[in-house]
Amino acid sequence: MDKDVIISYIPHFKEALFLTLKIGWLGILLSLIIGLVGASLLHFKVKFLQKIVGIYIEIFRNTPLLIQLFFIYFALPKVGIQITAEKCGVLGLGLLGGAYMIETFRSGLEAVTTIQTESALSLGFSKAKTFRYIILPQALSMSIPGLVANIIFLLKETSVFSTISLMDLMFTAKDLIGMYAKTTENLFLLVVFYLIMLIPVSIIGAIVERKVRYAGFGD
Amino acid sequence: MKKSLFKKVTSLLMATALLAVSLTACKTSNSTSKADDKVYRTVDEIKESGVINIGVFSDKSPFGYVDENGNYAGYDVYFANQIAKDLGVEVNFVSTEAANRIEYLQTGKVDIILANFTVTDERKEEVDFSLPYMNVSLGVVSPSNAVVESLDDLGKNDQVIVISGTTAETYLTKNYPNIKLQKYDSYAAAKTAFENKNGVAWANDNTEVIAFSLENEGYTVGIPSLGDADTIAPAVTKGNESLLNWLNEETVSLAAKNFFHEDYEATLKDTYGEDYEDTLVVESTSLTNN
Repeated sequence: MDKDVIISYIPHFKEALFLTLKIGWLGILLSLIIGLVGASLLHFKVKFLQKIVGIYIEIFRNTPLLIQLFFIYFALPKVGIQITAEKCGVLGLGLLGGAYMIETFRSGLEAVTTIQTESALSLGFSKAKTFRYIILPQALSMSIPGLVANIIFLLKETSVFSTISLMDLMFTAKDLIGMYAKTTENLFLLVVFYLIMLIPVSIIGAIVERKVRYAGFGD
Repeated sequence: MKKSLFKKVTSLLMATALLAVSLTACKTSNSTSKADDKVYRTVDEIKESGVINIGVFSDKSPFGYVDENGNYAGYDVYFANQIAKDLGVEVNFVSTEAANRIEYLQTGKVDIILANFTVTDERKEEVDFSLPYMNVSLGVVSPSNAVVESLDDLGKNDQVIVISGTTAETYLTKNYPNIKLQKYDSYAAAKTAFENKNGVAWANDNTEVIAFSLENEGYTVGIPSLGDADTIAPAVTKGNESLLNWLNEETVSLAAKNFFHEDYEATLKDTYGEDYEDTLVVESTSLTNN
């Protein structure tokens, strides 16, 4: 490995890291919103919408992100819907992640025992307040491990963005290899930058997990 | 709590160090054991195995593509089939993308790359090129209602589509650093993106942009040649002299029979007509051409 080559490539990888993080976090934010709304719809068994959420989960959990991005970026313009590559990346990641987040939140909501709801209702809480103040905090606390896993998964999924011309970490490495053929240096930087991106997430996730572990008995 | 967090951080750091070490180890074992543990196969070894692996494009009509019957076809493939025939072996086509052509040779996944590989100085450091069989330069195609005739006329936010790992990308990066490039990793993706008007123009080998404008209505090649004229040649793994010498002799003996004109007429004439035959085809007559 050539040290000078590595140093000269770092700015490219830094730029790619910022783009990956920007699209990654916006996509994750979108997926969290979809997840919360979807899981609430399932929890309250809202007629019709509940079915839609079910179909949405099946479609997006059972197709690869690559195909979803292809569809949004290359097929939709054929029917007149033009989306920029960055928005397409956020949308694709948000929709894929949303399907996973719904399931994670749902498992959290289901883990809160019915006796909690019954007790809250008998104490005079309204249905909405029971959900907001009793169920949701406990459900969120129990969803955290799943959420952290989903977030890391989604950040890693950004590696297929090359299909839609986004210069993420993976594509930057591939592109530099294609132009200057310094394979080892690029692959080394690629691993290092993925770790730089994901290790903090994993550490912060572990801390948050401990801080919010207030649900359930005996902890 | 603190202890387990500390443990986690240490184990992660150790994993990183391990990875770095293993990567370096890969590199050194590659370079030191080259003599007895080479990645490439000599002509004799290929003949013995009965199969030659040739890397070609599968999505780049009319040079290397898969036809409606599922068979590989095109100008490069025609040559590849002849190589296999003259070696007396079966041919196994390996589909490649522009960006991984060098890796395929360096890891010995293919014996020859015949994927419209333009000879450049950077690439010569990584692979060995044999004698050329085609001429090429760069070209830029754009929609007929907004033809780009000079790259200096591009607006600030206009994006030019290129395929990652091609000479067009390297040329524009070097000579027009201010132009925003929109990079795709496959020919098919770049083509669809261009048709969807994601960029104002598409820069690629001029053979390809000419073919694109002839095959699709509403597109004009505003810049038919850009930069230096280059040649296209088969490439083998660096150091594979046995196969390189064989290929050079093969190319010269085929050129003596005007093989590449025959190839043009069989594969390219439908697209380009007769006008481009003498500009595109190279018949290498001497072994010291490259």
